[in-house]
Amino acid sequence: MKKTYVIASLLIGFSATQPAWAALSGKEVFSKTCTVCHTPGIAGAPRFGNTADWTPRVAKGLPALYQSALKGTPKGMPAKGGNQKLSDDETRAAVDYMVTAAKVETPKAAEPAPPAKAEVKAAPKPVTAKPAPKPVAKVAPQPAAVPAAVPVPEATAPATKTASAAPTNVPGSDPLSFNRLLKPPSKRNLPPAEDGIHDPTNDGTHALLPPLSVFPNMPKANAGNRVDWVQALEKGVIKPRADRTDPTAEMMVMDLNVVREVKGSMPNVVYPHKQHTEWLDCSNCHTGIFIPQKGANPISMAAILLGEKCGVCHGKVSFPVSECRKCHSQKKEFNPTPTAAK
Amino acid sequence: MKKSASRKWWQAFAGMLAVLALAFVEAPVAQAEYGDVVINNYADGAGMRPVVFPHWFHRLRFRCKVCHADLGFKFKAGGNEITMVKIIDGEFCGACHNGDVAWSVENCNLCHSGKPGTPTQVHESTIQKLVQPTGATNKK
Repeated sequence: MKKTYVIASLLIGFSATQPAWAALSGKEVFSKTCTVCHTPGIAGAPRFGNTADWTPRVAKGLPALYQSALKGTPKGMPAKGGNQKLSDDETRAAVDYMVTAAKVETPKAAEPAPPAKAEVKAAPKPVTAKPAPKPVAKVAPQPAAVPAAVPVPEATAPATKTASAAPTNVPGSDPLSFNRLLKPPSKRNLPPAEDGIHDPTNDGTHALLPPLSVFPNMPKANAGNRVDWVQALEKGVIKPRADRTDPTAEMMVMDLNVVREVKGSMPNVVYPHKQHTEWLDCSNCHTGIFIPQKGANPISMAAILLGEKCGVCHGKVSFPVSECRKCHSQKKEFNPTPTAAK
Repeated sequence: MKKSASRKWWQAFAGMLAVLALAFVEAPVAQAEYGDVVINNYADGAGMRPVVFPHWFHRLRFRCKVCHADLGFKFKAGGNEITMVKIIDGEFCGACHNGDVAWSVENCNLCHSGKPGTPTQVHESTIQKLVQPTGATNKK
């Protein structure tokens, strides 16, 4: 017991960034963080307890798995599962927990691993009351897990050091994973079964067309679906019908720009009827949303953000409001006495 | 004993941290397409999965006007009071999903493919992002 404490305190002292709070067990980490993706298998994450999912990954060795978990992968695994509060050891413990649950036959690769887990679990857990027995029990059948039962503390000490030394150099690795409102490229245009809204247990979900089967050929945009739909139509990449059944029907296109002078320093808005009437009928906007009369439609960004006026479509299905300059596109003449203001 | 006392403190602290961490991590679960509409007016109550309507897929084939002007779909997620009876009568989705223009209504699971309990929403809409944190219950 004493030895494990020594190891634990060694570890704590070792990584200055980690405060001296008790390490979470692999199971706890899993149920707080990993399960979000690793239970349903979001973004191709190997599913918890699914041997087939885990076998090829475990085959590459536990160190590789640890690296993936700590640093993230281009396939979509965020560093530390996106939870930067986890210590490296907790992350490893979670990996161990999932690997154990996957019941993959691990002949050799597991050997360097157990220490990392052993020291975390062995120290605070077994001594404490409840949650401990379970991971240990689950772990028991695995050769990898045996060290949890204490016998090899000396061997573990140096191993843990090296193990935790390497990854601390590269903490939050993927800078984009920080902003949770910003989708990293790996999370864009996911197939339905992985998008978090479709139910992957539904057979129909798997029959649906994945967006990426079509999108790569389309003109690119910086937001929304990452497809520039207006250009796609202009260039003839897509030829959507203008009528439910009649493929020859044509839209009534009206080419008339409306310029709205805006307050402040933003460029004026140029509203192109043309691009809108390529898609829509007059009745879609007039008169329910916009009164066709100059000055009759007070519009503010606040209203748009809340889904009114332009925001009925823009920010929901048409390009979002982050694309300021697509609308605010007419440069103002600099004029010391502002004429604008409406 | 000192040790066990401090351990308890640790546990409490770790628990708090875990809750905090969860608050941060929980958010970005759904990564569906921009403009995907989940319609869950009646589905949950009827024991069906909610409907996921992919705007992008339909936009490849039809202009907005076909549904939103000709078929009378309002620009409002969940605002059209669509029911299977109306669909079978040829209204709303049923105008095309009739085995003629597109596949017909017996393919329940192609539309009713959302995760049970997913609230009605325009996925990734500005309102969803700014006013209601992702994952929060969405007002209609």
